[in-house]
Amino acid sequence: MAAYPRWEVVAGRNELVRAEVTRNPSREDQGAMREDELSRIDEEARRRGMSREELLKRAAVAGLVLTGSGGLAQVARAGVAAAAAAPKRGGTFRVGVAGGSSSDIIDGQDIVTNPDQARLMAGFETLVTFDKNFKLAFDGLAEEVSPNKAGNVWTIRVRPGIEFHNGKTLSADDVIFSLRRLVNPKLKLFGGSALSSVNPNALKKMDSRTVRMTLKNPDGTILDALGQYVAGIVPVGYSPNAIGKANPNVGTGPYKLKSFTPGQQSVHDRNPNYWRHGQPYFDQVVIIDFPDDTARVNALLGGQVDAISNIPPAQVAVVNGHSGTKVLESPTAQWTPICMRVDTAPFNDVRVRQAMRLIADREQMVQQGLAGHGHVGNDLYAPFDEAYDHALPQRKQDIAQAKSLLKAAGQDNLTVDLQSTNGALGMNEGAQVFAQQAKAAGVTINVKILDSGAFYGSQYLKWPMSTDFWGTRNYLSQVAAGSLPTSPYNETHWPDTADNKFLTLYKEALRTVDRKKRFAIEHEMMQLEYDHGGYIVWGFSNFLDGYSSKVQGLIQGWKGVMQLNNFGNGYRTFWFG
Amino acid sequence: MSAFAARLERATRVVPRPRGVWGFILRRILLGLLTLFFVSIVVFAATQALPGDAARAFLGRNATPQSLAALREQLHLNEPVLSQYFHWLGGFLRGDLGKSLTGSQEPVTSLIGPRIKNSAFLMLIAAAISVPLSIALGSVAARRRDRVFDHATSVVLLVLAALPEFVTAIVLVVLLGTSVFHVLPPVSLIPPNGSPWNYPKELVLPVLALVLAVTPYIARIMRASMIEVLESDYVEMARLKGMREQTVLWRHALPNGIAPAIQVIALSLAYLAGGIVVVEFVFAYPGIGSAFVGAVSNRDLPTVQALGILIAAAYVVLNVAADVATILVSPRLRTSLR
Amino acid sequence: MSGAAAAAVSPIVAPKRQRPFVVLLRRAWRLPRTRIGFVLVLLLVGTALIGPIFAPHDPTAFAGAPFAKPSSSTLLGTDNLGRDVLSRFLWGGRSILGLSAAATLIGLVLGVSIGLVAAYSRGLLDDSLMRVMDVILAFPSIVLALVAVSTVGPKLWLIVLVVGFTTMPRVARVTRGASAEVVERDFVQSAEALGEPRAKLLLGEILPNITSTLMVEASLRLTYAIGLIAGLSFLGFGEQPPAADWGLMINENRQGLTVQPWGVLMPVIAIALLTVGTSLIGDGLARASAGIDRRGDE
Repeated sequence: MAAYPRWEVVAGRNELVRAEVTRNPSREDQGAMREDELSRIDEEARRRGMSREELLKRAAVAGLVLTGSGGLAQVARAGVAAAAAAPKRGGTFRVGVAGGSSSDIIDGQDIVTNPDQARLMAGFETLVTFDKNFKLAFDGLAEEVSPNKAGNVWTIRVRPGIEFHNGKTLSADDVIFSLRRLVNPKLKLFGGSALSSVNPNALKKMDSRTVRMTLKNPDGTILDALGQYVAGIVPVGYSPNAIGKANPNVGTGPYKLKSFTPGQQSVHDRNPNYWRHGQPYFDQVVIIDFPDDTARVNALLGGQVDAISNIPPAQVAVVNGHSGTKVLESPTAQWTPICMRVDTAPFNDVRVRQAMRLIADREQMVQQGLAGHGHVGNDLYAPFDEAYDHALPQRKQDIAQAKSLLKAAGQDNLTVDLQSTNGALGMNEGAQVFAQQAKAAGVTINVKILDSGAFYGSQYLKWPMSTDFWGTRNYLSQVAAGSLPTSPYNETHWPDTADNKFLTLYKEALRTVDRKKRFAIEHEMMQLEYDHGGYIVWGFSNFLDGYSSKVQGLIQGWKGVMQLNNFGNGYRTFWFG
Repeated sequence: MSAFAARLERATRVVPRPRGVWGFILRRILLGLLTLFFVSIVVFAATQALPGDAARAFLGRNATPQSLAALREQLHLNEPVLSQYFHWLGGFLRGDLGKSLTGSQEPVTSLIGPRIKNSAFLMLIAAAISVPLSIALGSVAARRRDRVFDHATSVVLLVLAALPEFVTAIVLVVLLGTSVFHVLPPVSLIPPNGSPWNYPKELVLPVLALVLAVTPYIARIMRASMIEVLESDYVEMARLKGMREQTVLWRHALPNGIAPAIQVIALSLAYLAGGIVVVEFVFAYPGIGSAFVGAVSNRDLPTVQALGILIAAAYVVLNVAADVATILVSPRLRTSLR
Repeated sequence: MSGAAAAAVSPIVAPKRQRPFVVLLRRAWRLPRTRIGFVLVLLLVGTALIGPIFAPHDPTAFAGAPFAKPSSSTLLGTDNLGRDVLSRFLWGGRSILGLSAAATLIGLVLGVSIGLVAAYSRGLLDDSLMRVMDVILAFPSIVLALVAVSTVGPKLWLIVLVVGFTTMPRVARVTRGASAEVVERDFVQSAEALGEPRAKLLLGEILPNITSTLMVEASLRLTYAIGLIAGLSFLGFGEQPPAADWGLMINENRQGLTVQPWGVLMPVIAIALLTVGTSLIGDGLARASAGIDRRGDE
C-alpha cells in the first residue's frame, strides 16, 4: 500500500500553505482517507462544478495539500503563499495577555476578561466557526448544522472520532448537555446570551452523533450564536466548580490544561489525539497574565514571551522598531460606545441624544483616543455583518446643530456625569476626548473613572451616561445581547416606547429565513437606531498585537473576534519558524 | 531606656510584675499582641463596618437576588457587627483567611501563599544588603566626621531619604531599564511557582529601590550613634590603654554603636514592609504588595483585610524584636531594669 | 543737663529677648542647605501656584497625536491622549500641594493637641493616648490609606483625612516628648499654682516653648505627606482623570516612557525636587535647633 500524502492541516481554513505533497492520491489512497474528509472535498468539488478527482489533481498540481477539514476558497492565492516555511513541530509558545487577576476562570462556555478568552480557546471548540473574513464556516465540531424549511427545527451532526482530552468520544449527549448548560438561567453564562431561542427540553438525540433541536421560534441567527467562540462544547457533567482530579477541565481543543494559577499563568499541553490531523504544532502553550501594559510589552521586547495581545498604541512604533518583534494590526468590529439611557432625563428627550451624537468629532476621537488605530463609526454596530447598512450617511460633528437641538429641548447648559472604567482600549480615552469636545457645545461632562469593581457594581446599567465595551458580533446577535428589554447588558434601556416597532421587527427578522428579506428588515431596525438610539458608536479600535519574528502563521487583517487571529484558533495555526 | 520601656514601667507600676530582663521581654511581647489585637479591630472596622454593601460591590455585573443573598450569608453581613468581628477573628486565627471575593473564589491563603514567599525573599535580600551597607557608611562617616566623605554622604543620604519610593523606583527604571541604559529588565516577571532566587536579573531593580529607600535612615542613625560612642569615655579608655585603633573600633566602638541603632534597623526593616507595596507595583513583582494594590482596586475585601493585617503584623513583630534586641544588647539598659 | 550726664542717668534697658523660633529661623538660614531647600521649594510652589498662567495650552485640550515628540507647539511633547505635557505639568502641582498642606495641617493640629494633653496630664491618660498613637503607628501609612480607599473609594477628602490621621501620631509623640520637659519647668508650675485654666496654660505657656521642635517636625511631616499623596495618586487612588496631577501624570504616561519620557520625567523631577527641598529645610532647622540646644539658652 503506497504511503498516501500526509494530510497536513495548515494555517487556517482558507489559506493553504504548501506543507508536503507526495503525489496525486490514487483511488486506493482515497479509500484510505477519512470519510469525513472526503465528504468535505466532495462538497467543495460540487461547489466548483468539478469531480472529486479533478479537484484533487488540480490541488496537487498547484502544490497544495488538501486539508482534512475541507475548504479551498482561495486555492490559487494560497499557492503563492505556499513558498513560505513549512510548519514545524515543537517548542513552548508563551503568550502574554492583557489583564487578568485572581478572578480568572477557565470555562468552555463563559468568559469575563481577555485572559479567560485566551484560555478558553486553547481547550474548547464550537460546532461552527467564523473564518478570517468573519463569515460563517462549517469548520468546527459539526459536520452539519441545517434547518428545516420553516427555520425552527435544526439538525446538528458532529464529526466522528473526536475525543475530549480525557479520551471520551464526542457524542450527541455531550452536545445536548452543552446546549442545556449554555442556556441554563441559573448560570448566566456569556455563551448563552445569544441562544435565547433554544428550548432545553426540545433537544432530541437522534443517534450517537446527531441531535435534533426544536427552537422556540424560527431563528436564522442560531448559526451565528453557535459559532461564537464562547459556545464551547463540553462533556456531560462538566462543571468548573467541581473541577478536580475526578472531573478535569476538558474540552476537544488542541491543547489540554495542565496547570492553572488564576492571576498568574496557565500551562496547556499539546493534545496528541486532536481531531485535526497534524495540528497543533507547539508542544506546550503558556498563557501569562499581564495586567500592566508596560510589563507586557517589555516582556515581548525582552524575549520573555513570544506574543502579546493589546499593545498600547504608544508602543506600536517601539515594537515595530525593535529587531525580532513585529506588530499585528487587525481591524475589528469591537466598539466602546458612549451609552445614554433613553428612559431617563436628560436623554429621554430624543433631541438631546441627537445633539450628543452631533457633538462627537469621530475622527478626532479615533486620532486622540486610539492614536489613529481604528476606524470611524456611524452610531451603528456590527460593521462586519453583511446586513450592515452602508448607505446611511456618515455622521459628522455639527456643533451648531447640536446647540440648536439642545436649546429646543431646553438643555442649554447641560451638565452630566459619564462613568467609565479601564475595561478596554477606548473606553476611558473615548470618554475623555468626548468630554473635551462637548465643551464647544456648552455641555459639561464630568468623566468619572471608576475601578472595574465599582463600575460593574450595583450601578452598572443604571447610569444615565456611561461607556461600555463590546466585541465583534453580527447584528442580530448583538441586538439580543444589548438592545432588547430582555438583553443581559442593555445600557441604553432601548427601545423607548416610541420605538417599540423595533421589537416587532426583531421578531420578524428572526423568523425570516430568506437572507435578502431579512437584510431589509435589519435595515429598518438600523434606521430606527440610527435616528433615535442611545449609543454613540464613534469608532472601532484595531487589534494591536505583538509577536516575535520566529512565530509563523499569523495573518494580517484577520477579521476576528479576539486578538492574535482569535488566539491562533486555539494556538493551532501558529508555529515556530 | 527606650521610650516604650519607660512608659511600660510607669503604666505597670501598681501591678506586681516579673522582674529583670525576661520580665521586660515578656511584657513587651504581650504589649505587641495587644497592639495586634487593636490593629485587627481597626482593619475590620475600616473594611467591614463602613457603609456600602460589600456583596453588591463585588458581584457587580453578575448580581442576581440569589447570588447576593448567598454572598451576604457567606460574609455574615446580616449579623450584628460584633458577631461579624468574632467570626472573622476566629477564622483568621484558625488560618482561614476567608475566600477571595473575586471570580474563582479561592481561599485567600492559597492566593497569597506563594506571594508571601516572594515578598519575604525580596525584603530579606534588601535587608541583607542595606543593613551592612548603612552600618559601614555610618561608621565611616562618623570616623571621618566633618570631612569630605561625611559631607558628601550626608547630602546624598538626605536626598535619598526625602524621595518617595515610587520616585526612586521610576528613576531606576528610566536609568537602567528603558531610557538611558537598557541593561536590566524593567519588570520582574517571575512565574507563579518560580522561586525568585532563580531570577537574579529581575530582582536587581526592586531590591535596589528598596535599599535606596531604607539605607539613608539607618546610615544616619548609625553615624550619630558612632559619633557618640567614639567620643565616649569607654573608647577613650581603650585608646589610652594603648589598644590599636582597629581593635578599638571593631571590638569596642562598633558593638556599642550598634545597640541604639538596632531599634532603627528593625524599624527600617518594618518600613520595608510598607515600601514593598509601591515598589512591587512599579516592577509588577508578584508579591503581597502588588497583590494588595490589586485587591484594593478590585475591592476584594477579604484579601485586603488579610494582607493589611499581615503587613501590619510584620511591622509590629519587627518593632517588638527591636525593643527586645535593644535590651539584650545594651548592658546599661539591662542593669536599669533590676 | 549735659549729654554725658543724660547718658549716665538713662535707664538700663534689658536686651530685647527674641522669640525662640525667630532665632531658630535665623540660625537655620545661615546654613547653605536651608537656603538651597528654600529655593527649591519656592521654585516648585511657584510653578504649582502660578504655573497655570504660563501654560500654552488648556490642560485638557488636544495638541497633537498621543505621545508625540516635542515640537514647536508642544515643547515637551504630548501625553497619552495627545494633550500638551508642559501645560499639564504647569497645572499639575496645585492638587498635590493643596492636599499635602491640608493633610499636614490636620496632622499637626491633632497631633499637637494630643501631645500637649498627654504631656500635661501624665499618668493614665498619657499612657492610653500614647498607646492609641502606637496602634496607628503600627501600620505602614500607605497600608492604612489603601485599606480606607478599598472601602469608601478614592475620594480626595478621604485621602486628606487618612494622611492627616497617619501624620498625627508622630507629631503627638514628638510634642509630648518636647512638652514633658517644659511641663516640669518653674514658670509652668507657678502658672498652675496661680490657677491658670488648662487650655491657656497649654497654648500660652507650653506651646510657645516647643515651636522649634514643631517646626522641624512640620517640615518632616510635610515631606512625608507629599510623598504619600503623590504615591497614592500614582497608584490611581488620588486625583482622577482628566485632572492634571503630577502623580497621576506619572501613571498615565508610564506606557509611553520609551517613546516620550517627558510626561513621566517632568512630574518625577518636580516631586523629587519638592520633597528634597522640604527635607533640606527640615534638616537645616534640625541642625540649627540642635546647635541652639547644645549652646544652652540664648
